[in-house]
Amino acid sequence: MALVTAGIDIGTGAVKAVLMRHDGDVHDWLARRVERIRRRDPLVLAREIYAALLVEQRIPGGDIAYVATTGDGENVPFRTGHFYSMTTHARGAVFLAPGIVAVLDVGALHGRAISIDLRGKVLSYKMTSQCASGSGQFLENIARYLGVAMEEVGELSLKSDNPEKVSSICAVLAETDVINMVSRQISTPNILKGIHLSMADRLVKLLKSIKAASGRVMLTGGLAADIGLVAAMREQIAEQKAGVDVISHPDSIYAGALGAALWGEFRYRKLAQLEQLAKAV
Amino acid sequence: MSVKSIISRCDALFEDLDFHCVREWKQAHPGALAIGYMPIYVPRELIHAAGILPVGILGGGDRLEVIHGDAYYQSYICRIPRSTIELAVTGRLDCLDGMLFPSICDVIRNLSGMWQIKFPGKYVRYFDVPQNYESDIGGQYYINELQVLRDDLGRLAGRPIPDADIRASTAAYNENRRVIAGLYQYRAAKPWQVPTAELYLLLRAGLVLPVEEHTRLLGEYLAATDAEPRPVRDNCRVVVTGMFCEQPPLGLIKSIEMAGCYIVDDDFMLVARWLLDEVPLEGDPLQNLSEAFLKRSAESAAKFVARREDKGRFLIDSVRHNRAEGVVFAAPSFCDPALLERPMLQRALNREGIPYTAFKYAENSGQMQPIREQAGTFADSIKLWSE
Repeated sequence: MALVTAGIDIGTGAVKAVLMRHDGDVHDWLARRVERIRRRDPLVLAREIYAALLVEQRIPGGDIAYVATTGDGENVPFRTGHFYSMTTHARGAVFLAPGIVAVLDVGALHGRAISIDLRGKVLSYKMTSQCASGSGQFLENIARYLGVAMEEVGELSLKSDNPEKVSSICAVLAETDVINMVSRQISTPNILKGIHLSMADRLVKLLKSIKAASGRVMLTGGLAADIGLVAAMREQIAEQKAGVDVISHPDSIYAGALGAALWGEFRYRKLAQLEQLAKAV
Repeated sequence: MSVKSIISRCDALFEDLDFHCVREWKQAHPGALAIGYMPIYVPRELIHAAGILPVGILGGGDRLEVIHGDAYYQSYICRIPRSTIELAVTGRLDCLDGMLFPSICDVIRNLSGMWQIKFPGKYVRYFDVPQNYESDIGGQYYINELQVLRDDLGRLAGRPIPDADIRASTAAYNENRRVIAGLYQYRAAKPWQVPTAELYLLLRAGLVLPVEEHTRLLGEYLAATDAEPRPVRDNCRVVVTGMFCEQPPLGLIKSIEMAGCYIVDDDFMLVARWLLDEVPLEGDPLQNLSEAFLKRSAESAAKFVARREDKGRFLIDSVRHNRAEGVVFAAPSFCDPALLERPMLQRALNREGIPYTAFKYAENSGQMQPIREQAGTFADSIKLWSE
């Protein structure tokens, strides 16, 4: 029997939501949407996005078999269940790129390397420390200082011919570095590439710490769409002889929401099975 | 009354570290006394029968800044004795005319000694309980202890306590235990209707309210929550254990549930759930209390289990009976009883294939994110990967 589930991922910087239709082993996307939070109440935003998706697909809310939340969505009042981000990013990434060995989730607040098996089961993980210098929020701050839109950051970084190194330890020191670079008239592409390399350096170390030594690693989270970061990651992987291949996907940003919707379908069917078993007993 | 108003009242009682409701009770009952007790168990029936208000003291929680208390204990001692002595030396417990310190651990025994030195005018008793469960050995010992307490309380109250009064008090506490057991059964059946943070506040209210009022309040809550359907979540069902003495912050209990777990059994406020069955009202009331303690009482780290193979059976039975899918071990930092018992319980769970996770807390723990992450990933692992 076909059914529809929803996945809602409340991140630090954006809310992502998807609707999926499941028929046996076939899982189809019906709709997806992402919106930056921009000082709005994330719970209200989640409700609005979810309602908009239902209207767009002309599906009554009551027909959704399971509303699964992830990220900071534990308080979404209309949720059926909540799953933790590692679990959902792993599942979503495996759906987008079967066969991967690890997930590198780089969001607004932190980066996280997750080692998984072929089913998407989390085997181990490591997170960046509390410092924000490896995060999307840090990159966004720098882009704002430089007067560059986030969407332009990746392209500009690829044009770099002589990247300038920044501190990879502390966001405050890195921001000071950037101010000095601007006053020294270092070009924007070279500043951005330097930041990408510094972030990539930390992220590759994270990957090594979970012992990802071969195979493909999927980038998820908001920064997965940053082609400059992906290129910097590849350079750092080669330099540090990490042995893995980092990949991204146009829908990487939805990995959490997607994983939540997929796990929602799994739980819906499992609960139905358990109910049938209980009735049989 | 609505659920909201009942819980709001319980929350106010929980937040009140000056014990205004005890002071008000004493004003309304001129000449009447109030006696405090610490976890895990004291026979409140005897205190009640003396016309004295029993008051549960569970430390200062996360709302009390401990300034003096740290001077009394080394840094490797748990927090509940520090915050309890802080409550006392700052005058918050001066509404109490005495304190009972049950035999739970060395730290609480030491606290009873400090109390005797610091407050020489107050009644202080280290209330020992048997660790031998034979009626003619431990039982006889316990009956003697109960008799000493009965005589002491009689002297404080200014009149001997007759058997009939103990029977009447036993009946009042039987009723309270029956309603609490019903509330636990209801929560195990419909955990979405009784969030554990609410149940916790209800039980905490029972530590300061007269038992009859508390029983009424519990009944009102059960009726009110049953009349207000709440959304059902896809959470996993867990038993939480280790929180029998130093209390977790309320935020910690909420965090476990927010992380995707329904708590279906716990060891909060064991004083109200220690005796598992109704205590008979016929015959010798002290012997009845003693037999109930020896033969049909709950288990905790502070209770000796004679046969090694029986260790953990009580927890496993709770898991099975409440259809729990896992166990969350949450123990206070430096709690010797809970932390030394943990490996024995975990071994028993391993034998039964019951998953578990474990962490520590202090009554003033403020950072809940790691606990949410841990409890959440535990819930995910059960929901998604268990057979």
